[in-house]
Amino acid sequence: MLTLTPQQLEMVQRPIGEHCFLEGKAGCGKTTTAVERLLFLMENGVPAHQILIYVPQRTLAQPYRQALAVPGVMAGGAVNILTLGGLARRTIETFWPLVVEQAGFGQPDEWPVFLTLETAQYFMAKLVEPLLAQGFFASVNVHPNRLYSQILDNLNKAALVGFPHTEIGERLKSAWSGSAGQLSIYDDAQTCANLFRSFCLEHNLLDFSLQVEVFVRYLWQNPLVQETLQQQYRHLIADNIEEDAPVSHDLLRQWLPAFESAWLIYDHGGGYRVFLGADPLSAYALKSACEVQVTFETSFVTDACLQRLEQTLLWTFGQPPPPPAAEAPAPPVIPLFERFYPQMLERVADEVTRCIQEDGIPPSEIVLLAPYLTDALRFSLSNLLEKRQIPLRSHRPSRALREEAVIRCLLTLAALAYPQYLPPKSFQDFDLMTALLQAIDDLDAVRACLLTNIVSRKNDGLPSLSSFEQIQADVQERLTYRVGERYERLRRWLEEARAAEPEELEIFFVRLFDEILSQPGYGFYHNERAAELTANLAESARKFRLAFRESMNVSLEERNREYLRMVQEGLIAAQYLRSWQAEQEDTVLISPAYTFLLSNRPVQVQFWLDIGSSGWYERLFQPLTQPYVLSRRWQAGRQWTADDEAQVAEQNLQRITLGLVRRCRQRIYLGYSEYSAGGYEQRGELLRVLQDSLEGFVQAI
Amino acid sequence: MNIQLRPAQLEVTAYRSGKMGVLAVPGSGKTLTLAYLAAELLTHTTLQRGQEILIVTLVNSAVDVFTQRIRALLEQRGLLPLNFRVRTLHGLAHDILRERPEVVGLDERFVILDEAECNRILESAVKSWLHQHGDQLLDYLDEALTPAEMRKIQRKDLPELVQEIASAFIRFAKDHRMPPGQLRTKLDQLPFPLPLLEMGASIYADYQRSLTYRGAVDFDDLVRLAYDALQWDTQLLERLRQRWPYILEDEAQDSSWTQEQILRVLVGESGNWVRVGDPNQAIYETFTTANPKYLRHFVHEAGVIQRHLPNSGRSTLSIMELANQLVRWTMTQHPIQAVRDGLQGPPFITPVPADDPHPNPPDDPAQIHLHPKKQTVEEEIKTIVHSLKRWLPAHPDWTVAVLAPTHDLAIKVVEALKKENLPFEDSLLRSSASTRRTAQRLRDILQALADPLSANKLATAYVAWRLEDYEDPLLRSQVISDKTLLQRCAQVETYLYPTYAEDWLAEICPPQGEESPAIPLAQQETYYRLARFRQQMHRWLDAILLPIDQLVLTLQGDLFAEPAELALSHKLALMLRQASDANPQWRLHNLAQELAVIAENERRFLGFSRDDNGFDPQAYAGRVVVCTAHKAKGLEWDRVYLISVNNYDYPSGAPYDTYKPERWFVRGRLNLQAEALAQFEWLIAPNETAFPQEGQATLQARLDYVRERLRLLYVGITRARRELVITSNTGRRGDKQPALAFVVLSEYWKKVHAQPAT
Repeated sequence: MLTLTPQQLEMVQRPIGEHCFLEGKAGCGKTTTAVERLLFLMENGVPAHQILIYVPQRTLAQPYRQALAVPGVMAGGAVNILTLGGLARRTIETFWPLVVEQAGFGQPDEWPVFLTLETAQYFMAKLVEPLLAQGFFASVNVHPNRLYSQILDNLNKAALVGFPHTEIGERLKSAWSGSAGQLSIYDDAQTCANLFRSFCLEHNLLDFSLQVEVFVRYLWQNPLVQETLQQQYRHLIADNIEEDAPVSHDLLRQWLPAFESAWLIYDHGGGYRVFLGADPLSAYALKSACEVQVTFETSFVTDACLQRLEQTLLWTFGQPPPPPAAEAPAPPVIPLFERFYPQMLERVADEVTRCIQEDGIPPSEIVLLAPYLTDALRFSLSNLLEKRQIPLRSHRPSRALREEAVIRCLLTLAALAYPQYLPPKSFQDFDLMTALLQAIDDLDAVRACLLTNIVSRKNDGLPSLSSFEQIQADVQERLTYRVGERYERLRRWLEEARAAEPEELEIFFVRLFDEILSQPGYGFYHNERAAELTANLAESARKFRLAFRESMNVSLEERNREYLRMVQEGLIAAQYLRSWQAEQEDTVLISPAYTFLLSNRPVQVQFWLDIGSSGWYERLFQPLTQPYVLSRRWQAGRQWTADDEAQVAEQNLQRITLGLVRRCRQRIYLGYSEYSAGGYEQRGELLRVLQDSLEGFVQAI
Repeated sequence: MNIQLRPAQLEVTAYRSGKMGVLAVPGSGKTLTLAYLAAELLTHTTLQRGQEILIVTLVNSAVDVFTQRIRALLEQRGLLPLNFRVRTLHGLAHDILRERPEVVGLDERFVILDEAECNRILESAVKSWLHQHGDQLLDYLDEALTPAEMRKIQRKDLPELVQEIASAFIRFAKDHRMPPGQLRTKLDQLPFPLPLLEMGASIYADYQRSLTYRGAVDFDDLVRLAYDALQWDTQLLERLRQRWPYILEDEAQDSSWTQEQILRVLVGESGNWVRVGDPNQAIYETFTTANPKYLRHFVHEAGVIQRHLPNSGRSTLSIMELANQLVRWTMTQHPIQAVRDGLQGPPFITPVPADDPHPNPPDDPAQIHLHPKKQTVEEEIKTIVHSLKRWLPAHPDWTVAVLAPTHDLAIKVVEALKKENLPFEDSLLRSSASTRRTAQRLRDILQALADPLSANKLATAYVAWRLEDYEDPLLRSQVISDKTLLQRCAQVETYLYPTYAEDWLAEICPPQGEESPAIPLAQQETYYRLARFRQQMHRWLDAILLPIDQLVLTLQGDLFAEPAELALSHKLALMLRQASDANPQWRLHNLAQELAVIAENERRFLGFSRDDNGFDPQAYAGRVVVCTAHKAKGLEWDRVYLISVNNYDYPSGAPYDTYKPERWFVRGRLNLQAEALAQFEWLIAPNETAFPQEGQATLQARLDYVRERLRLLYVGITRARRELVITSNTGRRGDKQPALAFVVLSEYWKKVHAQPAT
């Protein structure tokens, strides 16, 4: 067992059978205590399968998962770690027949299909595209893909906040303070949401919003279901409830009396997932439902110096000034100010190196934080650190599958097997060259180019490959016979696939990988990354296939074509959660600031990159949706104004700066360049706040 | 920096509140005075937390100049260089939109497309319109055209003309904040069709759809939407008014109506607003919707303090006299009454007071050379090159510029200087030389990577890799000899990826081995250099699988060390990424081509070097700076050649003048752009204006053009410090004559001074 303070120990060993509300700032040891409590419960005879760990998103359960992964801990069944979505889905799967007609699904004899974000976006696109041509959303300037995701987002908000989805448009309209001409977009958004919901009901499709609604409105209200759940889960640990949505809190409030024991854990200053429906106030209201209420005050993370920084930050945000200090500590903040962006990155890399080599700080105790993590930033820093022999890993946001060279290789080869799926004239020799370069081992770029120039054919606009034997002998020699042999085998395989009846794409990709690309002599042989990406692609194609019901009358050909088009248009993301937790741990981490805040992990040293950027505190601006207006707290009929906006920016700034400081043990480096990567002068508010509070830090001595 | 302000400047810097309009003359120190005023206000007024003094100026390069000046002034006073913000109008519009993008239907990832991408979109919209409706324009073409002329026009001239009209049309629509849907409704309500408006509206709708599809806006949208946001969102407006209690505006004569409105709204009824400008230097009307009348009206508004900055220490008395005479003649004697407001005074240019630390240069009337003689373009250029050849050696420390009315003519001058081996500088024509150099290096390597079979491209990439050595006279020949070797490599794979059987490099310069006979040192060195390059190419060819931004960043790490180069290549990487996202069908060779456009000077790209942040003519003393008269604004040289001052480039409204916007193949030489815009103006307010008769707008546009060209001539003249040469030519067809204003000035000069022969 870890060394716990007497207060923590007392908490862990409290009698089983209480309902307890544990609160405190980040870094006070709440989750550490709760993890010990979990182990305590199990050691004291509570069967693991009766315990429910309930979190707003999966990453927040990481400390529990780690504790349970220790050999010998998990005896007598598995602890259930669930989110609201997970619980909803599991319950719907079990009790589907009870709800299918009541919830208005169109096919009572069929099982449900759970849509992924991508397949939901696909169907949304299918329904909305014709409306765009009719002039829907004419007054907004947004890429259609983002329109679709915002309409889905509105549906999710309605489900998570708990109001009928038919009210979305009216709510947004009544809060609108801009030009009346813009109001019609909310009507359009409502029409699209309605259309999508009817389509889902008709075909038994459940997107996230419908899963939550069906669970909350029908299944949870059903006594049989409630009883089953109450019997199944006897003990609850709900962590980070401040990051969860109101319907989740409603559920907990109703369920709470039935739990034999329950811990609700609340983090002061949280609420980072507001744009995903989080509502810290409705979470805090659960406090009164618990008979035991405990607050942890002391931080185990920050030292006196960082605590002083926290106080001066609070003072900048309008709280009373910190008490005068007896001596003059140096601020735990080190500015790295440069003129140009790449210079700042170089400085950061130097300082990271110094921290590791001179101060002996383990790489895993260093995190590089940016408001947005672009590929260019990650790539630049990873190059700079690689030169200094420092490994870097990233929590990178999802990106389109087609960005991956391996995926592009597979798509190009698929195009050769199924040229009929391609839009006319879209096949490019450069793609063939890079596909061959990757597919055939020992083939270099020059020969790949030579080979492409010779074998690439277009018959009636459709691409095909000619055989190696047809090439002149001297050129064959230039290409080498070994390459020729491998090329020929690949070509014949594609030819056979082309001649045969079309098959499901997922099967095609897996076969291509198994039978050719992963074989000795080919590029994916012993290439884990390529295997993983091929699996991702096949999995995404499979999910896409499963989303279609027979009742939709969509042929295999049409589905395959649609799938390839979606990947090409970037709608399909490589967002399969890979086990980044299991990656080598002793590396420097680079992460978007919010992702780091939601990973519950303090570190010794933080680097804040690009503190001049406004991305640190600006909320996500999306013209079709509005998390605050669609929240439960919003007064009907009130208008959302620029003052509200300014207040939110200030709150975000406060939340993020304090959140980060509370998760830092030693010091913070501030990376700033006068000009941003794009060459613009940067003057974000974070810069001002830091300036003010550092002045305060020094003055208040 | 010890600054002694002149009395007129002190009157301006004594300002503390209210609205003030300052009319200045060329060389009167506008920027300095305004920067000084900003420093004064920051010193003597108390700003609340979060408040800033906002300085708005015209171009990016001026932003840096202002920032540095104000910083220096504040540091001199022991103040932190905080609480001010310098922005171009587009930058300001961007700041405003970032506050609440969704108010105007944008999301947080909205993209601002650069000019090149917008032109590409417009081009494709024009092409598709012409394809479908091209015959609707036939009525506007000259009936006398031969079939061959017709074919040529439909292939080349017409698409160009339509694109020009569409571009002006869209800008006009955006300046009047009329979205395509609203325009369509208005057109549908008309009882009769208007083909030009139909054309504009249809291309506009198509163009705007393409922007929307990309989630993008163009520069005009930025301004339009920012104004909308301020109109619709009163709280946002209040907050911004609170944030910027003072707005100082430079180059105010170049503001468009919307731009002025944005600032007017931000200032509010009782706010503090200082506008400085010189209406006589407004030369952007043809390209934008700017108009100097807005500033002139402003200074006469009730309650506006009016100030003049008449003193200029820039030029000799003779040059000032000539410039003032141009203004006086225009105001009182121009044969066309309507254009007499094209140039106005007071203020007229006045020399600095006697005790000024920066007095006017000593006068030398003999150095005013006005030659309104008939000569061809080639002869004119020859004369100038000949004159420079004599002049340069005698004035090694002086600055000199040749100012042409068009970019094409400026390029011709550059070519002629090159031929004569005269030192020149052409970075004002497009991107700065250092920006081009960086883009060029990246281009050369990307082109080799896109086509790895080409020995020529490989050889060029080699030079790009060793560019520093190539530029070193001691090493240059070595680089060239390696390049020549590489060019001869018939099968590139035998060099880059040799096999046991074939290894090109080992054959041409075998490495020293234990058993091989002694190899000359030079040959061994060649081997190692080329082997190193091979390694480098391996690394880069591996990187072609990466997205373009990462590929460029890989090259960046291997090629550049200077901060400005690193920053520029980073920016180029992001730009290429954006281009690649906007054009998903593009591959490496298209992207390399995109860099080529910048490298080969076809498009201006703002880098980070000294010249990108404000061109300093003094840095090019002894070299001939060649640029357009437009780009010369704000700059000065000891000697200036103002060329091609004929009745085509500087028409006066006389019946024998011809006008660029009036195309020879259009019926009745109509200015279709002007006709379209006049109809548009009528459509917006049909009750206030009569329906424009055909041809009326063409005539009106001539007058506007005449006015603007008078001002351009004025700007050209006032660029000269000590010596001025003005020449003319007979144009491409040999039928042009010296501009009327030029003839009048030269007669005036002859009368006043006996002109020595040159």
